[in-house]
Amino acid sequence: MDKLLRRRGTYVCRSCIQSFQRQPRRGYATAAPSQPDIFDVVCVGGGPAGLSANPVTAHLRMALVEAQDLSKLRAWKLPPDRYSNRCSSLTPASASFLDRIGAWKHIDRDRVQPYHEMQVWDGVSGARIEFDSPPTNGGTIAYMIENLNLISGLLKRLDELGGVAMYDSSRVEHITYGEETEEVDLRQWPVVHLSSGAQLAARLLVGADGANSPVRTFAGIQARGWDYDRHGVVATLQLSESTPNTFKTAYQRFLPTGPVALLPLPGPYASLVWSTTPQNAAHLKSLSSEDFVAMVNAAFRLSPVDLAYLHTIPSNHVDELTWRSQHTPFPSPPTIPYPVTAVQPQTVASFPLRLRHADSYTAHRIALLGDAAHTVHPLAGQGLNQGQGDVQALAGTVAEAVQHGMDLGVIGALQDYNGKRFMGRDGGLWSR
Amino acid sequence: MEVVFRRPAAAISRPKGLKPAASVLVTVSTSSPLSQSQLQLQLQPQQRRPFTFSSLTRPPPNYPGHVPLSFIEKAALAIGSGLMSLRDPRRGDLIAAFAEATATPYFIYRLRDAMLSHPTGRRILRDRPRITSTSLNLPHLRSLPPNTVGRTYVEWLDREHVSPDTRAPVRYIDDEECAYVMQRYRECHDFYHALVGLPTVREGEVALKAFEFCNTLLPMTGLSVFAAGTLKPRERKRFWEVYLPWAVRNGLRAKEIINVYWEEELERDVNDLRAELGIEMPPDMRELRRREREERRRRKAEEEEARRMAAMEAAKAAQGQRQ
Repeated sequence: MDKLLRRRGTYVCRSCIQSFQRQPRRGYATAAPSQPDIFDVVCVGGGPAGLSANPVTAHLRMALVEAQDLSKLRAWKLPPDRYSNRCSSLTPASASFLDRIGAWKHIDRDRVQPYHEMQVWDGVSGARIEFDSPPTNGGTIAYMIENLNLISGLLKRLDELGGVAMYDSSRVEHITYGEETEEVDLRQWPVVHLSSGAQLAARLLVGADGANSPVRTFAGIQARGWDYDRHGVVATLQLSESTPNTFKTAYQRFLPTGPVALLPLPGPYASLVWSTTPQNAAHLKSLSSEDFVAMVNAAFRLSPVDLAYLHTIPSNHVDELTWRSQHTPFPSPPTIPYPVTAVQPQTVASFPLRLRHADSYTAHRIALLGDAAHTVHPLAGQGLNQGQGDVQALAGTVAEAVQHGMDLGVIGALQDYNGKRFMGRDGGLWSR
Repeated sequence: MEVVFRRPAAAISRPKGLKPAASVLVTVSTSSPLSQSQLQLQLQPQQRRPFTFSSLTRPPPNYPGHVPLSFIEKAALAIGSGLMSLRDPRRGDLIAAFAEATATPYFIYRLRDAMLSHPTGRRILRDRPRITSTSLNLPHLRSLPPNTVGRTYVEWLDREHVSPDTRAPVRYIDDEECAYVMQRYRECHDFYHALVGLPTVREGEVALKAFEFCNTLLPMTGLSVFAAGTLKPRERKRFWEVYLPWAVRNGLRAKEIINVYWEEELERDVNDLRAELGIEMPPDMRELRRREREERRRRKAEEEEARRMAAMEAAKAAQGQRQ
């Protein structure tokens, strides 16, 4: 009977089918699949991009999936003389977006450092570019903020808004398409299967799950690019002098092995990001803290020949730096950073650097945000900001779709987002 | 936002006219645990020197004996000393001035960087040893076993009837460290002679200069090879066929000879050092010259003999005819 009714070319409405099928159902306790929980938007990934995406679409039924324990992130607190080693530079545009969505007020502002000047110079020739304070926005070029500070601020805002189902400490086991049942046809809806056993069906699945995005893999979108064969070494450093918080300078020196950047944090602290070869990165991580500090000072002062030699010796960097400083001409601070005096313990770490760009930021019922869509080199401090820009654009697109009564997951509704975010970046990325 | 571009006046590898950074003090307090260790780096503000100057605005010297030259003065010195030393290669002072005038830009910095890239070179730059007739104990070197570096060196000195006289001090190189590098090269020149066994005659000097150019890349050494044009035709032929190929092959293949800490190598086996550096000995020039001289003398004597015989024959024939 069922087969007759479902034969192609014969249209029978659903309620008729159901009435014909009114038979006693045998319940198979083990075999019957549980109905996935249906959401308008499921955001996989609780990083800055994913968390920003949620408050904007607060009137839809939303779920957030994050592998880490969010309660730990909510309760994150460090003393004022300790800073996390993962920091980002927030452009004023991103900061004003965070303000608009109501997250900026929840961020610990005492741990955010605006900087007003940039000194960028070449390690071989000494040629220099100086970026002065812009006339607007109180002379701030950008804000240095710890990633964890940003995430905890966003979480506080999410808690304030409520209405988002949080699935934290849950890993995504796999993503499949749903099944058809009598009530709903989910064959074209992505269903996220979590480690806890929960299944979330999404009208729109937002992949904000980082560079190795499972959502992107599920969507079959290729991410093209290359590995830079470089690691970014990060650390939190203490400088010899604390420049006033109202005028801070960011520094970047381009060495033959890659750029080394020193970004200011409140007080005498600064964040280091040194892109160098994997061998040099391993060597740096193996040094004692005095030698590491001497290496960082050398990176901003000595010649590339000296630095190459210093990367080959296991110790005695302080002595070498003293000697070579007497025979190498270099300007004095604040044209170059003030000397580093200490490195905060356990903050020296490294991560591989690469360039990836997804072929498309959208697919049917899929949208990619942040690092899942584009992974870039940290040297210009734009990765996180581009993610925030993505969120803004996607939120606008979703709002448009909802206002016009569209199904917000179909590719036509999402096209606007792809157009706004993809083309502008594609031109810029491949020029690296 | 105003963006300012600066010319590389504070160039690190080209400190033309720049005074080296003033002294830097680093104190490490080793008593305290890691989180409290303080590294204080105090840097005094760098004095900016004029990028170009005229004879009327000459900046002060960087080291004792330094004579800062403007670009035109340096170019004139290079051309003048080059031409005159080609005319009379015995003028060591002109050759020294020529070396200093042509060492910048790039070449002396490259040599200094070659020293900085090597642990022994770095030690030499730190210790700044000087080779003078007083710093080397010649009688002690003569007492060393044969085939040591020191013994070979002093034997060569005796053979050539030269002494490790104090070489002319460097005056025209602005960077103080590079001035020492040039001074070190100049003082080690005799050691290079001993290392490869070339004599101090013009032919030997030209061959050694070719070898030095391929190894140190100093322009003066390369340009000195043009002095081969002033050699006798026989010598020029020998240079072209034997010594120039030897110099190029070994100079390029060998390790940087500027990085040899001679004061520490005196008691080492010289062939060991040659093998480590990758240098093979050229044919003994004095031996070749001596053999050639004897060959010539013998041939001349034979010719003389033959002429005499022919003259006697002619005289006899004339005598016989008259009778």
